[in-house]
Amino acid sequence: MKRKKLLRIPLKTGLYDPAYEKDSCGVGMVANIKGIPSRQIMEDAYLVNSRMDHRGGCGFEENTGDGAGILVALPHNFCKKIAKEIGIKLPEKGSYAVGNIFLPQDEKERDFCKKEIQNIVTLEGQIFLGWRPVPVDPKKADVGPAAKLSQPVIEQLFVKSAAGIDQDEFERNLYLIRKQFSHRLRTDKNLTQASLLFACSLSSKVIVYKGMLTPTQLFPFFPDLEQKSFETHLAMVHSRFSTNTFPSWDRAQPNRYMCHNGEINTLKGNVNLISARQGVAKSELFGEKLKDLFPIAEPDSSDSGNFDNILEFLMLTGRSLQESIMMMIPEAWQSNTIMNQKKRAFYEYSSSLMEPWDGPASIVFTDGNYIGAVLDRNGLRPSRYYVTKDDKVIMASEVGVLPVDPENVLMKGRLQPGKMFLIDFEEGRMVPDEEIKEKIYKANPYQKWIKEQIVPLEEIVDNKESNPRIADDLISRMQAFGYTVETMQFMLLPIVRELRDPLGSMGNDAALACLSDKPRLIFDYFKQLFAQVTNPAIDSIREEVIMSLECLIGPEGNLLSCLPENAHRLRVKNPIISDAELESLQKIDSHGWKTKTIDITYQKGDGDKKDMLSALDRICQESEQAIEQGFSFVVLSDKKLGPKRIAISSLLACSSVHHHLIRKEKRTRIGIIVETGEAREVHHHCLLIGYGADAINPYLAFESLWQARQDGLLDQISFDEMVQAYKKGVAKGILKVMAKMGISTLQSYKGAQIFEAVGLADEIIEKCFPGTASRVQGVNFDILVNEMERRHELGFPKTNLNNVKVLPNPGDFHWRQGGDSHMWDPETISDLQEAARKNNEDSYWKFANYANKQTTKESTLRGLLKFKYSKTPVELSEVESEKEIVKRFATGAMSLGSISTEAHESLAIAMNKIGGKSNTGEGGEDPIRYKALEGGISKRSAIKQVASGRFGVTMWYLTNSDELQIKIAQGAKPGEGGELPGRKVDDYIAKIRYSTPGVGLISPPPHHDIYSIEDIAQLIHDLKNANREARISVKLVSEIGVGTIAAGVVKAKTDHLVICGHDGGTGASPLTSIKHAGLPWELGIAETHQTLVMNNLRSRVVLQTDGQIKTGRDIAIATLLGAEEYGFATAPLITLGCIMMRKCHLNTCPVGIATQDKELRKKFEGDPEHVINYLFMVAKELRMIMAKLGFRTVNEMVGRVDCLEVDQAIDHWKREGLDFSSILHPAEIIFDNTEVFHTQDQDHGLEKALDHELIKQSKNAIEKAEKVHIDLPVKNINRVVGTMLSNEVSKVWEDKGLPEDTINIKLNGSAGQSLASWLAKGITITLEGDANDYVGKGLSGGKLIVYPPKKSSFKPEENILIGNVALYGATGGEAYFRGVAAERFCVRNSGAKVVIEGIGDHGCEYMTGGRAVILGPVGRNFGAGMSGGMAYVYDPEDNLEQLCNLDTFELEKLEVKEDIDELKLLIENHSTYTDSAVAKKILKDWKRELNLFKKVMPTDYKRVLQEELRKEKKVG
Amino acid sequence: MGKTTGFKEFKRVVEPYRPAKERVLDFKEIYTEHDENGLSTQASRCMDCGVPFCQSNEGCPVYNLIPEWNDLVYQNRWEEAFERLIETNNFPEITGRVCPAVCEGACVLGITETPVAIKNLEAAISDKGLENGWFKAAPPTNRTGKKIAIVGSGPAGLSAAQELNFAGHTVTVYERDDRLGGLMMYGIPNMKLEKSILDFRVEIMEQEGISFFTRTDIGSDNKNSIGIEELSESNDVILLATGATQPRDLPIPNREAEGIHFAMDFLRANTKSLLDSNHKDQNYINAKDKDVIVIGGGDTGTDCIGTALRHGCKSLTNFEILPQPPVERAEDNPWPIFPKTYTVDYGHEESNELFGSDPRVFSISGKKFLKDDRGNLTGIVTVEVDNNFKEISETEKEWKADLIFLAMGFLGPEDYVVKNLQVDLDERSNYKAEHNIHVTSNPKVFAAGDCRRGQSLVVWAINEGRAAAREINNFLS
Repeated sequence: MKRKKLLRIPLKTGLYDPAYEKDSCGVGMVANIKGIPSRQIMEDAYLVNSRMDHRGGCGFEENTGDGAGILVALPHNFCKKIAKEIGIKLPEKGSYAVGNIFLPQDEKERDFCKKEIQNIVTLEGQIFLGWRPVPVDPKKADVGPAAKLSQPVIEQLFVKSAAGIDQDEFERNLYLIRKQFSHRLRTDKNLTQASLLFACSLSSKVIVYKGMLTPTQLFPFFPDLEQKSFETHLAMVHSRFSTNTFPSWDRAQPNRYMCHNGEINTLKGNVNLISARQGVAKSELFGEKLKDLFPIAEPDSSDSGNFDNILEFLMLTGRSLQESIMMMIPEAWQSNTIMNQKKRAFYEYSSSLMEPWDGPASIVFTDGNYIGAVLDRNGLRPSRYYVTKDDKVIMASEVGVLPVDPENVLMKGRLQPGKMFLIDFEEGRMVPDEEIKEKIYKANPYQKWIKEQIVPLEEIVDNKESNPRIADDLISRMQAFGYTVETMQFMLLPIVRELRDPLGSMGNDAALACLSDKPRLIFDYFKQLFAQVTNPAIDSIREEVIMSLECLIGPEGNLLSCLPENAHRLRVKNPIISDAELESLQKIDSHGWKTKTIDITYQKGDGDKKDMLSALDRICQESEQAIEQGFSFVVLSDKKLGPKRIAISSLLACSSVHHHLIRKEKRTRIGIIVETGEAREVHHHCLLIGYGADAINPYLAFESLWQARQDGLLDQISFDEMVQAYKKGVAKGILKVMAKMGISTLQSYKGAQIFEAVGLADEIIEKCFPGTASRVQGVNFDILVNEMERRHELGFPKTNLNNVKVLPNPGDFHWRQGGDSHMWDPETISDLQEAARKNNEDSYWKFANYANKQTTKESTLRGLLKFKYSKTPVELSEVESEKEIVKRFATGAMSLGSISTEAHESLAIAMNKIGGKSNTGEGGEDPIRYKALEGGISKRSAIKQVASGRFGVTMWYLTNSDELQIKIAQGAKPGEGGELPGRKVDDYIAKIRYSTPGVGLISPPPHHDIYSIEDIAQLIHDLKNANREARISVKLVSEIGVGTIAAGVVKAKTDHLVICGHDGGTGASPLTSIKHAGLPWELGIAETHQTLVMNNLRSRVVLQTDGQIKTGRDIAIATLLGAEEYGFATAPLITLGCIMMRKCHLNTCPVGIATQDKELRKKFEGDPEHVINYLFMVAKELRMIMAKLGFRTVNEMVGRVDCLEVDQAIDHWKREGLDFSSILHPAEIIFDNTEVFHTQDQDHGLEKALDHELIKQSKNAIEKAEKVHIDLPVKNINRVVGTMLSNEVSKVWEDKGLPEDTINIKLNGSAGQSLASWLAKGITITLEGDANDYVGKGLSGGKLIVYPPKKSSFKPEENILIGNVALYGATGGEAYFRGVAAERFCVRNSGAKVVIEGIGDHGCEYMTGGRAVILGPVGRNFGAGMSGGMAYVYDPEDNLEQLCNLDTFELEKLEVKEDIDELKLLIENHSTYTDSAVAKKILKDWKRELNLFKKVMPTDYKRVLQEELRKEKKVG
Repeated sequence: MGKTTGFKEFKRVVEPYRPAKERVLDFKEIYTEHDENGLSTQASRCMDCGVPFCQSNEGCPVYNLIPEWNDLVYQNRWEEAFERLIETNNFPEITGRVCPAVCEGACVLGITETPVAIKNLEAAISDKGLENGWFKAAPPTNRTGKKIAIVGSGPAGLSAAQELNFAGHTVTVYERDDRLGGLMMYGIPNMKLEKSILDFRVEIMEQEGISFFTRTDIGSDNKNSIGIEELSESNDVILLATGATQPRDLPIPNREAEGIHFAMDFLRANTKSLLDSNHKDQNYINAKDKDVIVIGGGDTGTDCIGTALRHGCKSLTNFEILPQPPVERAEDNPWPIFPKTYTVDYGHEESNELFGSDPRVFSISGKKFLKDDRGNLTGIVTVEVDNNFKEISETEKEWKADLIFLAMGFLGPEDYVVKNLQVDLDERSNYKAEHNIHVTSNPKVFAAGDCRRGQSLVVWAINEGRAAAREINNFLS
């Protein structure tokens, strides 16, 4: 097929939308601390970048990179030279600027642009000097065809400063010039190549060279960079890993002042608010000219680009680089009790002006005078540095990128969460974080300012005791606001009783709101988005220290000023406010504040939408007027709802007002408070906040709960206690929803619109929710109004017939007759069971026809499609056989633990029999099952899941797999970890999971070794090393942008990809997530297929989908949309007897499936044959469809959307507006030879592994258990050392491994990531040097020793030795580290014994076994969620307690002899193995030093140990 | 929901009937007083299923909100349970007594355990309603002016009447018998349903504004009759709810012998005499000291047994042509379908108490009646049949009998009502109309209940009445 000419990222087409492109990268810098330029810095920088090649990405063309670049100080000598060549004489350093400008390829357009630029330079009073074409050598650099095709013409612009202005003013002028020409030319409709125009930089201090290149291509491509005279004192480099393969020269980094490894999750909100602040911004430096800088945030720029825009804006309007960075990425100050109060005050003051730009980030920034770096508040990106004795500083995402003589190393450090690293070239020194910040927070009396100016909400509440009131028409109002029996039963009462977002199970099988016959709340049309792969979700439970709901609300000051009045705002700790709080706010007339209440109800009329719409306009107008009238807050209130007044949905009103005010650039001048009877669930509150609400008073929720309490449904608590309980439960829920997207502060979440709409027409989106994706369109205002009115009618009916005195139950969670449609209803369940048990085809057809024609139709998008059968069908006998088709089937990832042994093994047996695959789920597997039974029956799960909890992920487990599945997200609760309630963790389950019996397990929301796209590439590589025969799979969940993420994951070399729908799910999960997170798989699989084909990546991966798949029709549609394998979970469980009890989380499954209760498990009556019978009938149904469509094989059917069309026969009041054109859009082929189903295997690059050498040298050990010694150098590009070897050992010696120290490996140098992952028993690795992230991940019995080079002179216990997330999920073995580890040491350790000399934040988080001995300082949040194993911490300063998260453990003194002996032995080992001075010192005075240790003892672990002791005694 | 682990902790306990020997001496209800605490425990066994099959098409025909009220009873919130109950069921005080509880057959707990005692709970909730005056008339706030005539006052007619009246229409119910209630009045004997409950229900409906005419046989030649055309002209809609009243006969030799009666004749006369005069008028078929045979193993057959026993019959035998059902569900009778298993109903238990054996004889068919020369019945000759009702040779047997009651079901409505009204009948001679649509071939005539679907349960009649009312309301507005 012909490929399209591609200049830039393709426009939005089908489901592909370039707006969702993500990237992540390697960043690095090299500088001379004294500011002395040299050629060496250039050479070093090149090497640094090249050695991080594996962190960058490339697509299907090996030589087309995702982008690489370098930022350096403007090389004066070099500039002089080149200027001379084009006949320009440069003035002195500092009074001229040079910038690299990307220009159109078209000559005419280029000339036009250049002239325009010259004009603007002149208009701004500066002197245009000339243009110099930048020499490029694509041939020498071997630039790939796609990059070449879109390569802009690059020219250098020379500008001279006007006379009499200083360098700062010159920079401001350059800024004005650049902003104006960029904005003008990029939006010029006459230019066909406007998008190519881009100013890489234009500065008198620095210059940026970048392009769509690989790091190694950068220097060869720009001959300038290779010139000897090109010297600099600083260099910042960047290599990009984009999720797309599409050309994008301008998105390469560095940006003008910074480069960024990370992702801004809150971008939409940040950009909206920045544009709103344009309305009130005033600058003394720019005066009237300020407007020429607008829009501050460049449209269609990446998140990093926008960050750069704002940083620049803050800096050039008068703030220092350091202060600007502190404002944009503040530390987690809110809940930090040990932070300096003045610093805290500064942060709080800044928060009154701007919300944080939230998300994982490692940012390197410079203005030429300083170079610095900072990490996000949670340390979600790695960044390590060396300082040498000859004044060089080298910083990068990895260590070892630049060879440094060990003797020359002065110190080794790492960036710490929220901490700043800074070099001051003028002073020629490294400035410590505290010093930088002290200078800033002492610049003004911030403490005084905030004390005087900020008004805490509590202060204005005069009547603290609320008056509980229950009006007579309570039930009517509840009905009118859509309350149901389930609202109370499943949502409100549990929130108050359990203080959390309530749990449910078995996923969501109910109709999408846009297909439902019931009048659904508008909230139901929105789905929460969540972080996956490119960006980690946050653990809001265990890492609560970095989360905050506190906000300052009300009118903001001028962002560009630094005045005390800026802090004059209201401090609200929880966005949910009580009746008393609201009342006080409404009445306020002090502090210069007044509040206006705006009625958001309208007069009941004839049901025409215009009544509602004009009311909506009135509300927006009144809000805007309120600002002009001097009000500081508006309360949008639906209290006037009554028989004659209908409430506009609070969400519609709130978002409309919010966006109206943004458009008018007035949003920051007023606080929006919502007083609503409608919002009550966590999801509702999240939506209101996500669309701009500053505070919410859910008065009807309080009133209803109070009534319930009067009815005896709650304990005898007071009204205030009840309100507090509700607020607490909701707060926890909101934090979790934010954390799902990786957002840690409510301030940033506010207005960030982290939602996708399903089934709302553009007229609604544009008016009320601009910027929100709504890909299938759907209901319009007519229908929305109809729904509002129908709901109102329920509460205030016209006739007695509808006058029901109790709440309705439309069966949203649990099926109800006459309620909302559910795919699993009595008919489907009983017919399927009959079909499967008796292999009864009639019953199957009864089941399938009913499911296909009714329940699926009423509930899902695919229900509305139909096949376009072929005019030339084929005979059924010609179609691929059922036996072949069932091999494409897999059962869902349901862990042993969530389901019973009986159910779990039945699925495995069934799938093994038919050649399909069953999945362990995330709970590990009993090794007994790896051995085949008689008659070829096997209970071994072919797919072994690797999830964030890493339960039972040992080398032996990995070895016993055909597929290794990295679960990034799951349909029922994307962005969260699996939850296994404590009552299901019995002794057996705990043993398999290496955890503590009786203790509930909530897996971390993120994989702590996947915070970015390059990290998943690493984990894929790790697992491939662990088992070369297994294919690696990555499981994602459908949401907007999943296609681009999938493209990134395929570039990260996954073999297999699962796109789950939102609707599946079996085990326990918060109801908010079950119902409101994730999107249908129809969208996900279609988007993924379309995007992969466009990127020519589709052929490298097997694509699977799942989510409520139950019939042959379902899989036929999945195939036509792009899938080639299919997962089933609920349906097979139903064949085994599941009756959708939805009680999995309660351990009371009455049919013995989702329970560990021994009595209930006896009731299991399933049989593997039932599953097999069912799957064969599904395959047969598929074959019949294939025959009619004219396909003989599944492969030829993949992606054939032309065989689908919308079923016009379905008429339904809500469905008319649905638009399937983007789903049914055929995948576009852009590149030559694109294939559209899986045809080729990934190249994992395993041949480069050091392990081949290790295996060769270990031959005798592996075969005969003879001792071997190996000595090798190691570099950072040697990744996963020891893992492939461990796999070989496991194959022979199984889980027993080899005798201790059989294979002895000594390495020298800087080891690459994942050193010694899953190291098997009998292997010892000793590393002299240092190591990167993930050292000893999954350690499976091996031994690991790391110490710094003996020649180095620094103190090991004060220097960083190993990176982040060491020993994550280790299950056994030993490790000794002479030095300090970075963040998240020993997360989820469940068996390894470890000694180390100091660790960063979140140490021993969620540990469930093993021992951690820490002979030095620990960071914050130590031991969060720890429920097993023990830690011994050396704490001479006695400050451990304030660094601990004491939720699950206690600190004890070491008194028990066994403990003391164990500790001593481990320290002695440490001393022997590493020669540790610290160990020696402690041992020398053991008796005294022992008293300085504290024992960290998890409460639950203690209980279990005591129980065991008791049992032993009994037996004894 | 009830108690999370209630179903594991507690066994099913069904409220006992009064002792058989005692209850068989009178026609008072066979039920005992409710034990509130016991019921609360029983309610806690409800698992609050994700998919409650008790509400499915195999479960409760009026889709009672069973999980909801189970939970409320568990929490001792009886009045709210009552509000929930009457939301879906117009006459729970009746169904709680007479329904065979299909819901229990579909109960999910029944898969591995015994089902929740739903029927007892329903009866108890409604009895609490009766005791505490929670049943209240709810007259409509405004009237639409539309008029509807309902023919027949059985459960279909009454439930439709109530719903249509709620909607503000003016409803008149016509009953050919002397008392209202149709089959509920005269088909079901007093010991199963105390008739004052029915009277109370009618009283409420009258307060709500519904008009009732008894002894008004629409379309017949009787003197009180109203012609159907006349009815049609004076109303906007007619709803036929006449029931399926044509009994199935047993046309074998000597059918004319004196002493062979249709079950309904026996039961009606008995209840009427009981209500009129406490049996003093002797105006009923008395089984005292008689050898009685009941043919037909359904509920009506059982009611005949119970009634004959209360008269003091000498012996009692019950024929059933079907084979004896299995104790556990058969292969072809899986959950959630109503279980066809061997159960002992009140009449069987009583007979066993009195005569020492279960009265039922299975797989048996009548060959010919025997009579003496005065034409009085003396017995019946039977033959055993196989599962396909084929006679097995050499199994003939002679039984002595003075009275034989035919309780073999009903064929359809009596069609004189609709003469001249262009209402089509279906192949089973019922009024032809679709379920949940209910309109007949005549656009202003609707049909509901047994006369449309054929002989069925009281709850199905209520289901039909409600559905027809909804359709009529839609038709009128």
